[in-house]
Amino acid sequence: MRACFWLAALAALLAAMPAHGQESPYFVTYSHHLEEPGNLEIAAASTIGVPKGNERAYFAPWIELEYGVLGRWTSELYLEGQSTAGQSSIFTGWRWENRVRPLLREHLFNPVLYFEYEDINEADKIQKEIVGHALDFSEPNSEVRREHAREIEGKLILSSQARDWNISENFIVEKNLSHDEGVEFGYALGVSRPLANLASPQRCVFCRENFAAGLELYGGLGSTEQFGFSDTAHYLAPVISWRLADNHSVRFSPAFGLTHGSERMLLRFGYSYEIQGFGRKVASLFRGKP
Amino acid sequence: MRKKIKIAIAIVMSVVALWGAAQRPRQPDLHWQAPAQAAAQPNPLANQPQTEVGGRKLFRRLCSSCHGPAGAGIGQAPNLQSFDTQVQTDGTLFWKITNGNLDRGMPSFANLPGLERWQLVLHLRHLEEPAKGH
Repeated sequence: MRACFWLAALAALLAAMPAHGQESPYFVTYSHHLEEPGNLEIAAASTIGVPKGNERAYFAPWIELEYGVLGRWTSELYLEGQSTAGQSSIFTGWRWENRVRPLLREHLFNPVLYFEYEDINEADKIQKEIVGHALDFSEPNSEVRREHAREIEGKLILSSQARDWNISENFIVEKNLSHDEGVEFGYALGVSRPLANLASPQRCVFCRENFAAGLELYGGLGSTEQFGFSDTAHYLAPVISWRLADNHSVRFSPAFGLTHGSERMLLRFGYSYEIQGFGRKVASLFRGKP
Repeated sequence: MRKKIKIAIAIVMSVVALWGAAQRPRQPDLHWQAPAQAAAQPNPLANQPQTEVGGRKLFRRLCSSCHGPAGAGIGQAPNLQSFDTQVQTDGTLFWKITNGNLDRGMPSFANLPGLERWQLVLHLRHLEEPAKGH
């Protein structure tokens, strides 16, 4: 409860700060574009789950701290929480991810290698990626929060720029180190583009150049114990991002469940704020000069 | 306790990497060369000079934190007003904006629409080096 309070307080603080950069509209799919070196992006996002039948709706917020360590390497820390209607609000854990771009230049397909370690409990519902088989969210928080899951995850991210379109494909492999579930698989596909291709002369908030839109398709592919589409969750999700100002942007995506194992809908919101030259500012503190 | 150690290791690794990157001397990268075909590409906005204003706006948002508001360069980011930069063809500048030079800290801006990258090239031509002696 206390952790959720701090998450909410941090989200409120971020909303009050000034914010940059055309955010990728994707929530689940990764493209090959990494954080600019030395920049820190702080994001507050959430997944609202609308289940089928009589199950309770839930709200799963998370905070992202994304830092461009080098031109080829971006590192990101997530802090996650969850609140289910009529139950409790809890902190569900953290994850640390790293994305490394092996090739120096732009190619037809641009690969990025993704490594993640997560320490969460089974009450986690942000569904930042969908892997394995369909999950059962009907158990109360009081029970599932005791089940810890330390997981490692790898992704092969392939991404292309075709004219002004971005086309991205992610192949996901996840292993739960706490339970013997085999190795789980998943995928995420995304296509998006900005709504205008020329920057207008004046500063504007509602002009088309500040918007990007696209479509995501993601889901699980079973595990080594049972590979395939049987009893898996899949979602089709229109996505849109809006750059409010140089450093602020928001994203929104309603994801529609496609299979029996999917939720009826996942509503995702995100707000991000980018601090340019954060690394340089920190380094200057140690060097003693600006 | 183990969690704290892991987080501390992550932070230390990030700071060390950042520090190492910041210490690199600023030297021109002789290997960062646009292919001849890309270098010869003309700017499709060359006959629409009014679009440069949009390029200025993009420059302020995307480039000025490293290259400075006037493009004079900050830290290891090069001076874009310099002769070395201005002598390059429009196609070369476009290629460099598109591909970046990841090992030297220059990100790729391939996610920008192509015409916006050409607007940036237009604006780079408007960066003026201050007169010597001032």
